[in-house]
Amino acid sequence: MFLEPDKRVDLATAAGHVQDGAVVALGGGLSARLPMALVREMIRQGRSGLHVVGSAHGIDVDMLIGANAIAICEESYVGFEQDFGLAPAYRRAASSGTITLRESCCVTILTQLRAAEMGLPFLPVRGIKGTDIPRLHPEYSETTCPFTGEVLVAVPPLSPDVALLHAPMGDMHGNLHLEQPYVLDERFAGASQAVVATVDRLVSADRLADVGVTIPGYLVQAVAEVPYGAHPASCYPGYSYDREHIGAYVKAAGSDETMDEYLREWVHLPDGENGYRDRVGEASLARLAGWSESVDAWKGLFA
Amino acid sequence: MMYTLDEWFVVTLARTIRDKEAVFHGFGSPCAQVAMHVAKRTHARDMLLIEGAMYALNPNPPFIPPTGNDASLKRGAAYSMRFEEFFDVAIRGDIDRMFLSGGQIDAFGNTNVTAIGRLERPKVKLGGGGGGCNISATIKRLTLWTTRHRSGRTLVDACDFITDIGHRTPAGTRAELGYTGGGPQWLVTELGVFDYEADGRARLIQVFPDVTVDLIRSVTGFEFNVVDDLRTVPPPSDVELAVVRSIDLLGVRRGEFDPGELVRTFEHAHGTTCGC
Repeated sequence: MFLEPDKRVDLATAAGHVQDGAVVALGGGLSARLPMALVREMIRQGRSGLHVVGSAHGIDVDMLIGANAIAICEESYVGFEQDFGLAPAYRRAASSGTITLRESCCVTILTQLRAAEMGLPFLPVRGIKGTDIPRLHPEYSETTCPFTGEVLVAVPPLSPDVALLHAPMGDMHGNLHLEQPYVLDERFAGASQAVVATVDRLVSADRLADVGVTIPGYLVQAVAEVPYGAHPASCYPGYSYDREHIGAYVKAAGSDETMDEYLREWVHLPDGENGYRDRVGEASLARLAGWSESVDAWKGLFA
Repeated sequence: MMYTLDEWFVVTLARTIRDKEAVFHGFGSPCAQVAMHVAKRTHARDMLLIEGAMYALNPNPPFIPPTGNDASLKRGAAYSMRFEEFFDVAIRGDIDRMFLSGGQIDAFGNTNVTAIGRLERPKVKLGGGGGGCNISATIKRLTLWTTRHRSGRTLVDACDFITDIGHRTPAGTRAELGYTGGGPQWLVTELGVFDYEADGRARLIQVFPDVTVDLIRSVTGFEFNVVDDLRTVPPPSDVELAVVRSIDLLGVRRGEFDPGELVRTFEHAHGTTCGC
């Protein structure tokens, strides 16, 4: 447990908690509440050999792959849905064999996290049998139910070295408030060795208690305040996702050369996240934050 | 009234839903997503609509966004389930229907959303299966769909990789594998509709009117039977079409189709306003 009263650090220190080769759980999902500031900072710091685990993800995992930071990918999905399609860097790395594919299933990952949370050596799942998923997971086994004799797939506990979460709000003690969908963030927090978080806004403990604590501070090792820290993913109620930016990213990620250009232009900036927000521009950020003004304004962000 | 193939397709998916079913779609599935809202507003008013990656129950979104995790999709929802809450319900067998698609689909309804080609260095790494590898085993009924039948690469003799389970795999039948769900019930494509025979194989039961059985055979990688009374897919009603248009304001459903399919236009025969 992390019982220091003041967990506040800067972003570089927060990202520094992740070691090369670590098993990392990335919070949020698809285009929502991804810990993008931490992703960019790990790339700036040259992190490599990571083993990422989780459910359905997009630009966070793809960008880390494009920056050669990932060795093993154990997500249930990496892509840009029907909107922008397959994840370009993921696809390229898989085809060239530069990452190890360990694709999993949301239910399996959830079950493994629960085993870790409960301190159990395994838990069974009913699915998987008959599919080709076990070809990617020699660690899975089988178990016979002592009551019914049913044979089920047994999966080991999954305790990531660190869970990287982004929240709209947090306090100095590391308490975090999230909006739905929480995706796997609560389970990641319970199962991981440590949570490292960024928040759009640090508030007082009283204020946070008023809006509600989703992740308790005792699970959190460090928290850094980074406004728009999920951009170009969304972090409601603050801001919607930046579809234009994600579209441009997918285009750039289509080749190693243009991927490197993207990283130079948007990540390797002398002033880190301040430089990033400057580049995105105040007007764009204000537009994303203006989703709540009207349905037309909101809808317009997706057109 | 004039209408397009994408609208008819979505309505056909919607009609696979029965009233009072609990229904779920995965992310990246705009046609299924729109179809669920069409069913909810027409013939299945008491269905439990579980909105994709938000796990929101019976929401009333102001529009359908092109991403499954957007807060617009929980507007007006009675409740938002937690991730684990939804998957618990699904694996204990209390979800009646799920929509599922794949880059490859075989005759038994097994689907591949993992990789095309050799697994070690795949020709195409697909996105991945989300939760399908477990919940396709336990959800009561599956509506499969693809908008890429005509490509000749989607309905295949054997999937390069089985991500989600159909009626049987080389490892055995659903019963032999201990699976509690009933498996695929329908396969809807942009060319026609299949159901499944007792041995678990797809059987053609309906075709769109601008499509021949010969064309379907030429782009289908597996052998299939054709039902004796093969029919045209029942046309959409004016009400269903109006609902599709009012819900899918951004036209996200169209993103699933090859541009060539979107120019397929149809019209109700004179004097008919309802295809029911």
